[in-house]
Amino acid sequence: MNSNTTRALLGAAAVVLAVVLLIVLKNGGSDTTATTKGVTTIVVEDGKPVGGIKQLTYNKGEEVRFRVDSDVSDEVHMHGYDIMKDVKAGGSVSFDFPATIEGVFEAELEGRKQQILELTVNP
Amino acid sequence: MSSVLPVAHALVARKDLPVPVWLFAWAASIVLIVSFFALSVGWRTPRLEEDRWRPFGTGLSRVLLSFPAQAVYGALGVFLLGVAIYAGLHGTEAPDRNFALTFLYVTTWLGFPLFSVLLGDVFRPFNPWRAVGRAVGGAFTAVAGQRPAHLRYPERLGRWPAAVGLIAVVWLEIVYGASGGVAVGLDPHAAALAALIYSAYTLAMMALFGCEQWCRTGEVFSVYFGMFGQLGCFAAKGGGLGVRRPLAAATRWATVPGSAAVVIASIATTSFDGAQEGAFKGALESTFNDLVDAGIGLTSALRLTDTIFIVLCFLGVGLVYLVGVRGMAGVAGAPSLRKLRMGFAHSLIPIAFAYLVAHYFSLFVFQEQAQFTYLLSDPLGTGTTDLLGTASAGVDYRLLSANAIWYVQVGALVIGHVTGLALAHDRATAYWGDYRQAARSQYWMLAVMIAFTCFGLYLLSVANA
Repeated sequence: MNSNTTRALLGAAAVVLAVVLLIVLKNGGSDTTATTKGVTTIVVEDGKPVGGIKQLTYNKGEEVRFRVDSDVSDEVHMHGYDIMKDVKAGGSVSFDFPATIEGVFEAELEGRKQQILELTVNP
Repeated sequence: MSSVLPVAHALVARKDLPVPVWLFAWAASIVLIVSFFALSVGWRTPRLEEDRWRPFGTGLSRVLLSFPAQAVYGALGVFLLGVAIYAGLHGTEAPDRNFALTFLYVTTWLGFPLFSVLLGDVFRPFNPWRAVGRAVGGAFTAVAGQRPAHLRYPERLGRWPAAVGLIAVVWLEIVYGASGGVAVGLDPHAAALAALIYSAYTLAMMALFGCEQWCRTGEVFSVYFGMFGQLGCFAAKGGGLGVRRPLAAATRWATVPGSAAVVIASIATTSFDGAQEGAFKGALESTFNDLVDAGIGLTSALRLTDTIFIVLCFLGVGLVYLVGVRGMAGVAGAPSLRKLRMGFAHSLIPIAFAYLVAHYFSLFVFQEQAQFTYLLSDPLGTGTTDLLGTASAGVDYRLLSANAIWYVQVGALVIGHVTGLALAHDRATAYWGDYRQAARSQYWMLAVMIAFTCFGLYLLSVANA
């Protein structure tokens, strides 16, 4: 390859790099997602979460707090953390545990195999 | 009507966080710089066209490849497949507590590509269908006094049956399994039935075309795992173990028609699985809703949507490759289009492997803990069996930090990219006598590789987002 082509290629690489960096700088702020505060309540009607699957986001080390109000009796299973609590029809059950494992996890109504919550724990 | 698309998670209790934007940008930049750098420092004569296989450890290979040892490997393969099918048929319907799904789709389907790259084609001795085929063939020869006669395998069919089969295997897991509109994956019973049907089909094909012929071109698992086995430096040849130049064997792998389709199918199915909750989520949802509006039932609409997108992935990945090939054909001194198409397919194997590592590394680490504790101790998942005393063990999801997973994912893609470039570059120096034209042809493959690697990085950065 002659030096002109090399120079052209390096120039092209530099341009691409600059564009990538520009995109990063522009989106730099969006990398840190807002975390969930307080106790979230998930209302289950007819065995399904009202308003769709609830999204909760925490940083590692924070306290995960949510409550499930359900009109059906089932077992709420917080996967990954492997916490299981029974809920009676018309009753409610509370979860309160430290976010120690990073990743994306789901909570299900175990008997119905119905996902009600997606829990995101950022490092 | 607008429904939220139900997605299947048979096994994964912990999903990966998306790769952060800054890491995505760094990795993409490194990929670009490395690629352009590679073009200017590339070697000028082919170095990988000969694998320079030489035997090693003759004593060891006599023991490892002896007839009784091979009988043991084969029997073990048949036994484990039997356990998986039995567990699937008679065990619990909970996918994560049944031996069948984790053994078939994680330990085998993800484990053998990894071990094949490291150790060579290790599936071959354990292949249960090959073991049965050889035993039956041997018995036939002993009784009839002559070797069984087989049909001539149609040359043009090549590895196409394996490519179609590969898509079918993944389809069963992530499309058929995602049925019913609930968060349940493939049920173990269906997996076991599929394994039985596949066994019957494979043994029939072996009877028709011969055991070794079918393993070479048609048997999905032999072809697929064998493909990854070409990258590593270990291989058995002529009844002995040996070492060879890493990557060199891959240069001859794609000489069978349909080989490109196998590696493209691998990249496409992994892409689909990685994209269905991220990059493709919106498109999948709108297609799904359109189909439901058109009066198709929820389950069928979901399966149809996913099927359409898997096929589109295959066509898309294939198209990117063919554009690269087409471009190379325009460079002075290029060989025929057909030769180019087959001649560069092997350079995609490292990309396919990198995609696998990037998308399934954490699943493999987590699920193998289950495999070697409670699934081995209580294969049926009945809760009453405890063969090894490990039935109550759990999966430690703290084992990998999110950072560790990100670095493995991005590292795999970058290494796969560089390896793919090296294979393509080496082939170009073999096809073009003139180095300058060879380098020019590689602008095209460079573009293909950058497209795949950046797409892979992009998939990781929007996973589950």
